[in-house]
Order: sequence, then C-alpha cells, then structure tokens
Amino acid sequence: MNKKNLRKKTLIAYAASAPALILIASIVVFPIIYTLYISLTNMNTYHWFNYEIIGLKNYQRALTVFDSGFFSALLTTILWTVVNIVIQLIIAFIVANLLNSPLIKHQKRLYETILMFPWAMPGYVSILLWKTGMFNTQFGLLNNWVQKLGFESQRWLSSDVSAFICCTVVNLWLALPFMIMIMDGGLKSIDKCLYESATIDGAGKFKQAMVVTIPCLKPIIGPSVVITIFTTFKTFDVIYLMVLQTGAQTGAHIQTIITYAYENAFITNNYGYSSAISIIIFIMLIAFSFVTSRRKNDDA
Amino acid sequence: MMTRKRIKTISSKILLNLFFIVACAMALIPILYALSISFTKDASLLSKDFTFIPKHFTLDNYKAVFTEEPVPLWFCNSIFLAFMTICLSLSTAVPAAYIFSRWKFPGRKGILKALLLLYSFPSILSMFAIYKMMSNLHLINTRIGIIIIYAGTMSVFALWNMKGYFDTIPVEIEEAAKIDGCSDFKIVLKIVTPLARPSLIVTATMVLNFVWNEYIFSINFLTGSKNETLASGLYSLQATEMSGSWPVFAAAAILVSLPVLVIFFFSQKYMTSGLTSGGVKG
Amino acid sequence: MKKYKSLIILLMVVFVLTGCGKKNTSSSQSIVIWHDKEDAVIKVLEKHLKETVPEVEVTFEKKTGLTESLKLVGNDPSSAPDMYLFAHDKLGVYAEMGILSPLTDFITKEELSDYIPLTLSSATYKGEIYQLPLYFETLLFVYNKKYMSDEEVPKTTEELYKYMVSKTKYGHYGFVEQHSTPYYAVGWVHAFGSDYISSDGVPLFDTEEMKEALSYHKKFVSLMPGETEYATVNTLFLEGMAHTSIVGPWFVPSIKDKGIDVGFAQMPVVDSTGEPISPYCGVQGVHVIKVHAEEKKEAITKVLKALMSPQVGVDLALSTGAAPSRLSSYENEEVKNNTLVMLMRQTAESAAPMPNIPELDPIFVVAGNLLTDINMSGMDIDEAAEKAQKKALELIGNMR
Repeated sequence: MNKKNLRKKTLIAYAASAPALILIASIVVFPIIYTLYISLTNMNTYHWFNYEIIGLKNYQRALTVFDSGFFSALLTTILWTVVNIVIQLIIAFIVANLLNSPLIKHQKRLYETILMFPWAMPGYVSILLWKTGMFNTQFGLLNNWVQKLGFESQRWLSSDVSAFICCTVVNLWLALPFMIMIMDGGLKSIDKCLYESATIDGAGKFKQAMVVTIPCLKPIIGPSVVITIFTTFKTFDVIYLMVLQTGAQTGAHIQTIITYAYENAFITNNYGYSSAISIIIFIMLIAFSFVTSRRKNDDA
Repeated sequence: MMTRKRIKTISSKILLNLFFIVACAMALIPILYALSISFTKDASLLSKDFTFIPKHFTLDNYKAVFTEEPVPLWFCNSIFLAFMTICLSLSTAVPAAYIFSRWKFPGRKGILKALLLLYSFPSILSMFAIYKMMSNLHLINTRIGIIIIYAGTMSVFALWNMKGYFDTIPVEIEEAAKIDGCSDFKIVLKIVTPLARPSLIVTATMVLNFVWNEYIFSINFLTGSKNETLASGLYSLQATEMSGSWPVFAAAAILVSLPVLVIFFFSQKYMTSGLTSGGVKG
Repeated sequence: MKKYKSLIILLMVVFVLTGCGKKNTSSSQSIVIWHDKEDAVIKVLEKHLKETVPEVEVTFEKKTGLTESLKLVGNDPSSAPDMYLFAHDKLGVYAEMGILSPLTDFITKEELSDYIPLTLSSATYKGEIYQLPLYFETLLFVYNKKYMSDEEVPKTTEELYKYMVSKTKYGHYGFVEQHSTPYYAVGWVHAFGSDYISSDGVPLFDTEEMKEALSYHKKFVSLMPGETEYATVNTLFLEGMAHTSIVGPWFVPSIKDKGIDVGFAQMPVVDSTGEPISPYCGVQGVHVIKVHAEEKKEAITKVLKALMSPQVGVDLALSTGAAPSRLSSYENEEVKNNTLVMLMRQTAESAAPMPNIPELDPIFVVAGNLLTDINMSGMDIDEAAEKAQKKALELIGNMR
C-alpha cells in the first residue's frame, strides 16, 4: 500500500513538473548532448555541412590547450569568482538591510529603483560606457577627475592588477542590483516575530543579523547565489570587452577560462575542436563543484 | 532621554539618506554620462570638454530614435515576447518548484543538483546546438521558437528561486487548508501562490529583464526587420567605426532601460510578503 | 477578475500561434541584403535600385555582427538573407563553408572585364569569383591644415618622427593611429616587405622583417596615446588634439561634419626600406547566399546587373570618397577631379589586398595580441614574436 502510494506520488510529481523539465531539457540539456556529439566530429570551416564522426581525435588535440596559459586562466577565474561573489554578498547584504530600515520607509522605492538602473540597461551598453566613458586614458571621466585633483592621468586597463580591479568594479556594478533585489525579497520573507524574540533575549543589531537574518536568508538566497557563482565563473563579456577585444586591447593579460577557450579554440571556427574543449571544461566544473560541495558537507 | 533618542533617530535617518544618495549617484554615473551624450548635438562618445549638463541641449536624438527607427514596432515585439515568456516560464516553473519543495520522491535531489550543474555549461556553444534543434523543428524565425528558448533559459533560475521561497512557507498553513477540504491544486493556486508573491514578482522581473535585454538569440533566431526587438534594434544602432551615431545610440539605450525601471518601481508595492502582513488572505 | 486574466492569456496564446503560422512570405521578387555600412553608401544603392529595377523589392538590413550571424543562419532558408554587402576578406570562410554562390552563376566573366583587376582578384577564392565589387578603399594619411601646411607634409617616416617629437606635448599629438590594431599596423609591416601571413597561409610573425618593422613602429607608438581603439584616436583628431592621422574613407563624413580643414596625402616612405607605409586594400561588394540563389535567380541577376552600372560607382565615389571598382566610373569628370577619390584609387591600387583565406580570422587575433604585447605591455619583441608565431601555427593547425 505504502509502496503503491509512493509510486503514485512520484508519478504525479513528475507529471506536474514535466513541462518545466522538458523545457529545461530541450534548452539546457540538449545543447550539452549535441555539443558532445559535435565534439566527436570533424565539423569545421572545411566540413561545415558534410562533417563525419572522427572519434576522440578532437579530445586528443584539445589537451594541448590545457597548458600553463590555461591553468593561469583557471586561477584567475577562481580568484575572480571568489572576489566578486564575496564583495557582492557583503555589499548587497548591507544595502538590502539598510533599504529595509523603517527610517527610510518613504524613500525606499525611489532608492531601490535607481539602484536597479544598471541592471535595466543592456549589458554590452554598460560595459561600453564604462570602458570608454570612465576608464579611457585620454577622455575618460576618471582621468578627468584625477587630473583635476592634480595627479598624472593613469592607464587604468593596461596592467593586470588594475585591469582586474576595474573589471571587478564593472562586474559588481552590473551584478549588484540583482543580488540586492534577491536579498531584499529574502529579507521580507523573514518572520518579524523572530526579531522580536531575539530583542527580548537581548540581542543587539549585529547579533540579530548573525542569529536571525543570515540563517533565515541562507536557504532563500542560496540557489540565486549558486547560480550567480556559476555565471561569474562563466564571465566572458565583461573581461573580453573591457580588455581583450581585438582592435581595442588595452595591454592587460587577464583571461578567464572562457576567454582563453575563445581565443584558443572558438576563433578557429573548428566546432568539433571547440566542442571538445567545452566538454572538458564542463567536466572540470562538475568535478570542481563536487569537491567543494563535499567539503561543505564535512564542515557541517 | 527622549530627545536624545530623537536626535539619534534623526541623525541616523540623515546618515542613511546620505548613504543612499551616494550609492545612487555611483550607480548612475555611467548612465548620466549616456544621458548627457543623448541630449547633445553631434556628440561623440568621447570629448575632452565633456560635462554632465550638455552644452548644446537638444532633443533631436530622441526624435531621431522615434522617427528614423521603428521603435513602436520593436517595443510591441519586446513586450509581446516578454509577456509570453513570463507566462510560459512561470506556469511551468511554479508547479515544478512547489512539487520539488514539498514532496519527497525518488530523483528529487538528483534533479535539483543536476539542474544547477547543467547551468554551468559555457553558453557560447549552446546557441549553435539550439539553432540546429529549432531548425529541425521548423521553429527558426517564429516567435514561439524564441519564447521557448527564453523560457527554457530562465526556467532553471525560476525553479530554484521559487523552490527556495516555497521552502520557507510553513507547511502548517497548507495542512490546515487540507483539513478544510482543499485539493492540492487549489492549495497551490489559492494559498501558496499568494504567499509567494514577492518571489513570483522577483522571478517575473528577472525574466522580463532577461527578455528585454537579450539580443544574441533574437538577432540570429528572429531575422528580418519586422521581427526586431528593442534590444536587437538597439544593437544594430550601435555605432561602429564605419557608421552610426553615438548620441542616437545613447538615447535609444536610455529609452530601452526606462520601461523595465517603471515596471520595477510599480511592482515593488506588491513585493511585501503575504506572510508578514498577517496570516492567510486570498 | 481571474476569468478575464485567463481569457487574456488564452487570446495571447491564440495570437502567438496564428502569428507564427504566417511563414516568411518572401516572393521571388523580394531581395534582402544584409550590410554594416554607413548610411551614405546604402542611400546611394537604394536610390539606384529603386530607379533601375523597381519591380524587385530590395531591403537593406543593417546587421551588427553580420559575420558571426552568417555562420549560423547562412544555410537556413527561413532566416538567411539573399545577399550581403561586406568587404572581401570573409568570402574565403563562407566559400569553404559552402554558403556562397559564385558570381558566374548570374553574370558571365566577360561582363566583368571592365573591373579593375585588383578588385576582381580580391573577389576570387580558389578560382571562383564570389563578390561583385562595388568600391575599394584603403587608409590615407590625413593632416589638419590648422597645424600642418601642405608643404610640411612628411615625405618620409623620419620626417614624421621629427614632427611628432616637436609637437607631441601639452595634450597634443603630432600623429596618432590605431597603433595596436592589426588592420592599421600592417601598413608598417608591409613597408618592411613582410606581412602577417603569406598568400598560401603561412604565418610570418617570427621573420626578421616583421621584428624590424615592429621595433621601428614602436618608436612612433611611444609618442602616441596609450589607447588603440578607434573612438580615442578619431576623437583626438576631430577635436584638434592630433595633428595628423591615418584614416579610412568612412571617417571622411565625420571630418566634414566637424568642419575641419584637412588635407589627404600619400603615406610617408620608411627611410630604411624606401617603401611607403601601405595598409591593406579592402574591396566592398555584394555576395550571393546560396540557399535562395536558385529560386530567386532572376531577381538576383537583375539586382547584380543594376549594381554593375558605372553610375553606381560614380555616386558612391562622390558621396563617400571611396574608389569605384569599375574603370568606366572614372570617365566621369567629377570623379576625375575629385582629388580624394583619385588619391584613394592610386594608393589602394598599390596597396596589398587583404587576404581572403579563412586563416585570416585567427591571424588577426594573434596579430592584435602581438601588437598589444609589444606596444602596450612592453614585452620583448623577439619573445613576443616567437610566442605569436607559435600560437598562429597552433591555431591554423587547429582549424582543420
């Protein structure tokens, strides 16, 4: 009886979630499978339509991409992800909490809407505005201000460290609105009674945040944070458009694994080969997330 | 004692407002830059005598956007795609998120984890595969095709985000309703969905914004001038070394962003949770 | 309330489904041409086509990122354009992919006899002509007459260098160019008798000539701003901060709009080699996409024939300053007397045409990185060149 019930329940569960799962399967899963298939073929400029299966040859060649350049790109990517996510979480947490302060109840909607502006603009427009409007050595606002303060104008994007910082600033600017919105939504769902009881127990503002806000927020924003981690890991356009675009390079050599793969594989128009590299990167990501999630479980 | 508290309140109020004014200013600097260019005649993207208040004020660039480009058409296309994508992604993701949050069944944890992992696949190549698939289904250059793509792309986020929120809603409320004789379907529709309103709005806004600003899929999957959306139209307006006008582009970029902000501004009113505003209302 | 909502949604769904029902009803008399050109060019072409072939409905669609889109949609009947207007350098890629129709499917070779040989050879890939050339262009030396008189124009690069040294101060620049952009920098490489890639697809980054060219070039770069992208360089010139520059004809309208009094001149000659700086020559023209070529043959042929008229070349030359590809366009008095057009023709004809082999894509990326390494990151030339050569060989090897 119980077993039958479970089977029935499972069936209903899958039936109800089928539309979403089918949608995801076709748009997210299918491309991965297809890429896996292409990675086994010789599809390239010279065999665009008449490609055939050539087995694992692409993988054999793809391994040459994973040289020291790739590993330094991987390190940069990890550093990039950690720095961006940590700063994002801290700033978003503070801003979202302040936004919910009863003291600015009336202005809140206005402030929050303005803070959302960066997010409402198409990303490539924003990056372009930052690169040419802010960081340009000749005409950028930053150098304009620096000169007014009596300093030498700087080449912001030419050295690796400063370019990394500039890209982080731009990325934060682009990504913070989303994080603030998610945190704000999460904060609103926390039962106010919990704060009251915490206050009765004599907890200060900081203690309240540690004991009530963060633990309550964790499960709600968790998925969005994980998704943001992956998006940050996959960053392409911020770094590519800021420092690497051919014809608009700035002299810095920061590469994420995706820009590295782009410059070393996709540019060849060899889809079989690029697919093999994508699959290998994908497998590495999966392995990486397994390792980190296991560590988390150990801590708990 | 009382006055001291008042002073403290007022000063922290001022501090808070100051903080947000500075934060807003920081958020707006590049946008003000675009705004200034969009109001200037014949401006380039760069100039040594740039000022935030344009020296030769003009509305011509905005006029040009409306008269020289079919903006109303782009706008309608964008609205339509956004609306349909929100309907499709929410109507599929809400039941799935609810089930994944409430029921324990084999495969549940595995699927949830897998969804996140799959999300990490670099998307540069997936476009090619999706194109092949859509082409075989004869869905290239159809609106339904692109709506499916958009909804599919956003549904991992929608599912996870709402599942996370459903997890925070106490089961007791539903159990009470069940005792009252509500069916599962009715519980989701009448009780859980209203409670999850903030999360629904956040998700819908995210989907809206994604569709609104997405151009890579739309320039490749919906070709032809009558299919252009705001984002893809704006992209083609982009000035290059060879052609284009920066002021018109800047004006168009500002115009594209505004509707999303307006919608966001008004949706905030509904973002307060049903939970904290006291119990179970319809 | 709820009922209305679901009704609206239902209506919307019906609307979508019916909306999708209507397929691209492109008749055999309508032609879609993708392009990324300036408005002036398109206006000339549109006007001319309307007058000569009114029965064919031609639509020009501006596509940013056209070259990437074509790789994806080039073979799809529902979304590919019928033709595209672009420079000749990508036609090798598309010809290899098999999405282009040879021009000779529509026009006989004899009909093309009036074309300047350089433009036809650029349009040819593996023995087939894939492009109907409209005009060709290269980069020219431009000077602001407020700062430099006609007599002062440097004949040699050392003269230019002297000028740069004396004028580059107080935010002014004697000479600016997009120094680390491969398309611009190649002029210096050519002057030393080298190139990024040989005609049979071998990269030449580690040759002595290349290194010599790069190190000589660097001397000039050190007196230029630390940005290579066009917005900075062009703005410096437009705002009168840069006295001289290297520009393409597409920049001429912006100069005219600003009302700057400028002169155009031959490129200076590199003292040590006796060769002028000579950038690539690019041939702009229309290409026919294969998917619709059969069913729309008649309309495509009509459009191509209309675009072959010498008058098109004349109008293009006079409105943009580009050099028409038909010899007979030069019989027009106004064209003959247009110094910019004649200078463009003369310079472009002696310039090396941009290669149209598929290897160019990765080569440009490598060249861009090499130039950036040397000019902007200060890397050692030998080391950078060696690295570039290795990368180029690797990328070309990985194309197959």
